[in-house]
Amino acid sequence: MTVVGGGYDAIVVGGGHNGLTCAAYLARAGLGVLVLERRERVGGIADTVEIAPVVRSPAIAATVGRLRASVARDLDLRAHGLSLVAPAVRVFAPGHDGSAVVLWADVDRTAEDLRRRGLTADADAWSEFDRLVRSLGGFMADLGEQTPPDIANPGVADALGGLLLGRKYRGLGRLDARTILRVLAMPVADFVAESLVSDALRAAVAWRGVRNASLGPWSAGSTLNLLQDAAGNDGGAAGETVFARGGPGALAEALASAARSFGAVIRTEAEVVAVRSNPDGVATGVVLASGEEIAARAVVSAVDPKQTLLRFVDPIALGPTLRWRAGNIRQPGVVATVALALSRLPSFSAADGDERLLRGRILVGAEGVDALERAFDAAKYGRISERPVVEATIPSLVDPSLVDGAEPGTHVLHAHVQWTPRELRDGDWEACREPLADSLIAQLETVAPGIGGLVTARRVLTPLDLERDYGLSSGHPWHAEPALESFFLWRPMLGYARYRMPLRGLYLAGSGAHPGGGITGGPGQNAAREIVKDLRSRI
Amino acid sequence: MSARYDAVVIGGGHNGLIAAAYLARGGLRTLVLERRHVLGGAAVTEEVVPGFRFSVASYVVSLLRPEIIRELDLPGHGLHILPLDGTFTPLLPGSGPTRRTGANGVPGSGDYLWRVNDHGRTVRELRRWSLRDADAYEEYGLLMVEMAKFIKPILGLLPPDPTGWDPREFIGLAGLARDFGRLPEREQAVFVQLMTMPSADFLDQWFETDPLKATMSASGIIGTYLGIRSPGTAYVLLHHYMGEIDGAFRAWGIPKGGTGGISEAIGRAAQAQGAEIRTEAPVARVRTRDGRATGVVLESGEEIEADAVVSTADAKVTFLDLLDGGTLDRDFEAEIRRFKFRGSSGKVNLALDRLPEFTSLPNAEDLEHLRGAISLSPSTDDMERAYDDAKYGRPSAKPYVDMIIPTLVDPSMAPPGKHVLSCFVQYAPYHLDPSLGTWDDNREAFGDTVVDRIAEFAPNIREAIVGRQVLTPLDIERTIGLTEGNIFQGELSLEQLFFNRPVPGYARFRTPIRDLWLAGSSTHPGGGIMGANGRLAALEVLRAQGGRSAGVRP
Repeated sequence: MTVVGGGYDAIVVGGGHNGLTCAAYLARAGLGVLVLERRERVGGIADTVEIAPVVRSPAIAATVGRLRASVARDLDLRAHGLSLVAPAVRVFAPGHDGSAVVLWADVDRTAEDLRRRGLTADADAWSEFDRLVRSLGGFMADLGEQTPPDIANPGVADALGGLLLGRKYRGLGRLDARTILRVLAMPVADFVAESLVSDALRAAVAWRGVRNASLGPWSAGSTLNLLQDAAGNDGGAAGETVFARGGPGALAEALASAARSFGAVIRTEAEVVAVRSNPDGVATGVVLASGEEIAARAVVSAVDPKQTLLRFVDPIALGPTLRWRAGNIRQPGVVATVALALSRLPSFSAADGDERLLRGRILVGAEGVDALERAFDAAKYGRISERPVVEATIPSLVDPSLVDGAEPGTHVLHAHVQWTPRELRDGDWEACREPLADSLIAQLETVAPGIGGLVTARRVLTPLDLERDYGLSSGHPWHAEPALESFFLWRPMLGYARYRMPLRGLYLAGSGAHPGGGITGGPGQNAAREIVKDLRSRI
Repeated sequence: MSARYDAVVIGGGHNGLIAAAYLARGGLRTLVLERRHVLGGAAVTEEVVPGFRFSVASYVVSLLRPEIIRELDLPGHGLHILPLDGTFTPLLPGSGPTRRTGANGVPGSGDYLWRVNDHGRTVRELRRWSLRDADAYEEYGLLMVEMAKFIKPILGLLPPDPTGWDPREFIGLAGLARDFGRLPEREQAVFVQLMTMPSADFLDQWFETDPLKATMSASGIIGTYLGIRSPGTAYVLLHHYMGEIDGAFRAWGIPKGGTGGISEAIGRAAQAQGAEIRTEAPVARVRTRDGRATGVVLESGEEIEADAVVSTADAKVTFLDLLDGGTLDRDFEAEIRRFKFRGSSGKVNLALDRLPEFTSLPNAEDLEHLRGAISLSPSTDDMERAYDDAKYGRPSAKPYVDMIIPTLVDPSMAPPGKHVLSCFVQYAPYHLDPSLGTWDDNREAFGDTVVDRIAEFAPNIREAIVGRQVLTPLDIERTIGLTEGNIFQGELSLEQLFFNRPVPGYARFRTPIRDLWLAGSSTHPGGGIMGANGRLAALEVLRAQGGRSAGVRP
């Protein structure tokens, strides 16, 4: 072991929410930890940016309701400044004709609302559907907390884990147990259709199965994403809508503060360009862009698996088969975000002046399952959807601190825009940046007439920006496509799902690892558990 | 006064006949009841245009299990499979590496991609397109043979009830897991990809030649309501790779006399074992008493008693049409109603007075390129767009067409000098957009679309046609009795495979009704002229009847 003087126990590459979570747990376990972040601030996709003087907006992710409760508790994030707001409304999906679907945090209220809008069958079905999603999502949460078993050399721990999972599986009851095996690989369009009747309601739920993915609601495996989205949080059938005061960046700051409190050191503007390994194929440290080398007993990458293996690791050490496999990890980035500063709160026709409805996720362009599917179709041919699906939030409604000091009445609208493929067949993203914002505003105009006139500033993040500025390969916010081919035992690759990468001493702790993307802290927390185990046994 | 048998088999398709043969071989007095005047179900040969005999629906064979051919001595009963060699993919004028763009403003002939069973020749052909792909083709072929070998035992496995926790049911699966552990790392990874990925994305890992990927990935969508970029289609790719003729994986052939030739051979084999076969004997319902099947009632009113009723009709027909309402438990019935069919393919059979001439490769003396499959799959985009149309309830404007000319290997199918062109077409969604009306309103337009598509590549086709038969999914449902025209008796989508086929907990050919068995393609391991379903089901029936055996190992 070549630990030079001053070396750390672990270096975490990438200070996104998973890197920080992992670092905090490692430091909490008494290890010497250094976090190296390429950008000028930590957070990764959990970022808050200033889009106009004193107007701040979420940059990529908008809500943080999927954060694992155990992470918040173990790291005492509240003491480190995290403050969450959960509005009563979860989703407001206005149609072009003035109709709308509204999903509330309260299940009965949603049913009542559906009934009031004439969707009687769905009103009757909603509570059972919510129960089903929670039950199946609960099993996904149990699965998410597990380190996938070692299939090559199964040990006692793997057997115990299997038994535990088996018990939880049986705990689902026979009917739900059969259902989960049947629905995991199913298109989400079919899954929602088994319970719900209204096309608009189906689409509002199905959207969560395809968000961040190059999948349409008719793609197999999109149900899995819906259930993952409901795993380990209070989302249920409506999905979570929880804001961090100060934007998602505030969550990153709380995580960083927690990590520091346990003794972790965090350096920003410190770009890692390589992982050093010795001739035995053991990771020994990292090399920074400045040429600086830092040694450590473990290198933990919270960067996506493709970059980790192809860019950081010596190709000789990795070998041709693994290079081929890593090179084939699919990362079709299809997400752009647009943040708008607005001179006043826009008026959505279907909200009828009820400002409360605008506090949740506002879903535009998903008036039916086929509308979602058509928006996805464009991405298959390397085109931007003409009628993209937009998930907008107006975080300043629940968190006025974002526009503190701005002109009274100022609001900020953040829009997640899909599908916008990273690889465009014709044209390039520099040329498409402003037209994308125009097309988004046009899309919003259909449900909030006059909104275009309220825009005082705008900031577009294209998939190319996500790649260049945020270091996400192919601009994929979830590091590896959330598809059936990249799940549990084989996320990011079969044989490497246990956070241990092919080089001894190199670990993966980002969204490319089980249980995958989204602001959960899950991969970081799970990885820390395995790293601590290894480092303790290697002392 | 009613007749009495040990076992009655509903449906004289290939699975029904195979089940009957094994049941009779196990000593049961067995009767097969076929609704139509011909045996074969989807595997039938009929003279639709005078003098021309068509393999009406199913048209090639490769998946028929070799152990069935052996155990039932099908060659001895007249089965004769003529090999098909190669896949010819013509391209449109102006496309391909040599482009053949013509001169003086006249568009050229376009290129083609032609793969044959002779591996060396195919590799030389691929070198014209891409040196990298020519190398990868070798490696890919070997890998897929390994994959097919690994998965082959699954075809003979009884799926366990994953919520049943009966350890005995998991023994077969455990063996498979052990074999999986012994595969090299890369093969393990590729197997997982095959079970989860879109076929086109799977192939992207090896190949860059677009028409090659389009043509190869087409195997992944046959009979499914999925596109080549839909997750789950790589599995169907493998399903079709498992075809074995004389032990060679991925070999396809056509039976002499059309696919009806297979059915007739199996029928003779079943009779030789002592089974009785009746045609034009449609079953109206399965009789039950106290939750047990006791026999069947024919549409004529005739009653036939049996200790076991083995249905090879699909799951919907068997459970919802043939059983009296209220017989089934509500949860089970709901699961059956959820089982997806969604037929997506049609068939156009053409009687020709001359051979088609493809602009990209004019007919030479040997006509070699026309002796295998001819695949209209010029690009992955064309394939995917064809699916996009279908997703929204429209027949593909430019469909994928897989053609064979059986008369080139079996001239007995048409008058001398004339030919039969058999066209499998995708997509033809069973559920049309309501604005289009019904399939009865769209049948001829669909036939025209197919002919137009062929004419883009072989313009002489229009003059060559002397007769045509168009089979829409609705026709397939009506004539063959396949629900929603699904040729696999239920979609081969991931959630409808193995222990979920057709319903979790009932994937072992048993049904909630005692002595009623399911033995068609709605069961594991799915569709195609494979026969594994009928054989496995028959062996289960025999085992349940006091441990009888047909003298073979499952």
